[in-house]
Amino acid sequence: MRALAFILGRYLLGLSRRTHVAVVSGISLVALGLGAMALVLTLALLEGFQATIRRQLREGGPHAVLVPARGDKLPPGPWLEALAQKHPELSFRRLERGSGWVVAYGEAVPVLVEVVPGLAAVEVDRVLAARAALAAGAEVALLSPAPVLSPLGPVPRRVSARVSRVVPGLARAEKGTVRVPEALGRELLPQGGREEVQVFCLGDGDPQNATAHLGPLPEGVAVWSFQQLHRPLLAALSLERLLIGMGVSLILVVAALNLLCNLTMLAAEKRADCAILQAMGWPKGRVAALFRALGLAMGGLAGLGGTLLGWLLASLLDRTRAIPLPKGVFATSHVPFLPTVPSLFLVFGVTVIAAYAAALLPARAAAQRGVLEGLRGE
Amino acid sequence: MSRFAVQAKELWKGYGEGERRVQVLRGFSLEVQEGELVAIVGPSGVGKSTLLYLLGLLDKPDAGEVWLFGQKVSELSPEERATLRNRKLGFVFQAHLLLADFTVEENVAMPLLLRGERKAVALARAGELLEQVGIAHRRGHFPHELSGGEQQRAAVARALACQPQLLLLDEPTGNLDSQAAERLFGLLQELVLSQGLTGVIVTHNEALARRCHRVVHLGPSGETPC
Repeated sequence: MRALAFILGRYLLGLSRRTHVAVVSGISLVALGLGAMALVLTLALLEGFQATIRRQLREGGPHAVLVPARGDKLPPGPWLEALAQKHPELSFRRLERGSGWVVAYGEAVPVLVEVVPGLAAVEVDRVLAARAALAAGAEVALLSPAPVLSPLGPVPRRVSARVSRVVPGLARAEKGTVRVPEALGRELLPQGGREEVQVFCLGDGDPQNATAHLGPLPEGVAVWSFQQLHRPLLAALSLERLLIGMGVSLILVVAALNLLCNLTMLAAEKRADCAILQAMGWPKGRVAALFRALGLAMGGLAGLGGTLLGWLLASLLDRTRAIPLPKGVFATSHVPFLPTVPSLFLVFGVTVIAAYAAALLPARAAAQRGVLEGLRGE
Repeated sequence: MSRFAVQAKELWKGYGEGERRVQVLRGFSLEVQEGELVAIVGPSGVGKSTLLYLLGLLDKPDAGEVWLFGQKVSELSPEERATLRNRKLGFVFQAHLLLADFTVEENVAMPLLLRGERKAVALARAGELLEQVGIAHRRGHFPHELSGGEQQRAAVARALACQPQLLLLDEPTGNLDSQAAERLFGLLQELVLSQGLTGVIVTHNEALARRCHRVVHLGPSGETPC
């Protein structure tokens, strides 16, 4: 082991010489390092966007929802008050939901209607604001599917209202949402809507664990966790990260193939060395181990350099907000980069494994080559 | 009572297949006593180096047996042969075959390092050997910075690093001018005799061969001991 480390170190130092093989080795190292850096930057970019989206989900909607297990009404009784007393780290907001339309500027847009007790004025979410071109102060007409009889026959109930403010939307909602005070809600939904209780974490509580400690709920109450509420989006984000990460990893594969060619050349260049080492009593297995260790060391060097460089660059790009985004189009002002420790370890590990895998064939070839061939070739 | 250091019994060795096959050794036998210096001479292509590689456990005979110091070694596993090479054999080749990335001192210490010896111990031993072969002042140089004669002296020092019992020399003076060859052979002779080693030397140089204890002529039809 001592001899292997000694020879390995000297071979690595030898790569700094300006021989043909050393130059190619240098290029392989740089390519592997650049691949690692590109992967770190890509993962940091995806993580940055995902963190932004997760933050918006956390800030824009409930962290869990309690819904009727059957029908559209929650069980009666003081269970919600008891729950609120038991969990001061959570806040609970009871509301009713129904469907309707918002008519603005002569166009009707289907919406979800939320009847929120205690709400003073009408609010619309960003989804609806974008679709119907609404802003605070806009006059709208709210239409209910519950008909009212008129001389012309049954027509939808219609209530005029003024938008007081635009609030972040529910990511799970495909439709826009309008929130109305209780009184207005009674007019629009005289039969009442589907009841639900929205649960929010207070302070720094993790929304993903909002329902973890709720304990047993009364019969007839079901719970949708944060993950269940946003499953399609979170799954899509994970899939996106996986597939793009795998795509960018192909750079590492190409770099590893380059390293394979380079190590094959190096093994050919060192065939006399391998032969004389074997003549001096080194088993074939140690020769193979030497080249595998060489691949591992080159992967380690390139991986460490590339990962650190990627981390530095990603941190710099994020901190300086170097890539701005147009306001109003994106929910964030700049392209976010968030390099995480697990992703750095992942990239380093993948780089080292790729380099090690690239060294297997050259190592085998170096060990299999006959000693006499090496001695006579010299 | 003298013992045999080397016994080659009915060695057959050929290369290639079918019509391209070249039979190099045809039932060759040789016995070398401990402490004896034997020269193998003969024209090119008769299998002198092949014989040396068979005796040095770098190759296996197609048929026949090799015994070293009373042990049958031709059937040993590759690992056992490697261990034996490190512990009992020393090689000097026509080309010095020093490792270009290492200094002369490190090259000489290499067999000990491969054995697992500590670096400081190995380098100390290398220093002693370089003194013996007269190039201690070159210990920190790289092989390409040495003359041909110095490179071969370094190779001799390396061959002696593990205190081998059998020294196998394949045309060690082949790349040297006559003066350098004379000096190197004198050094080899002195080292082999003073340390009680057994030596088998393959050479084209009949004059140098005659200075050995025994000369074995290897020809296409077999050997003629002189």
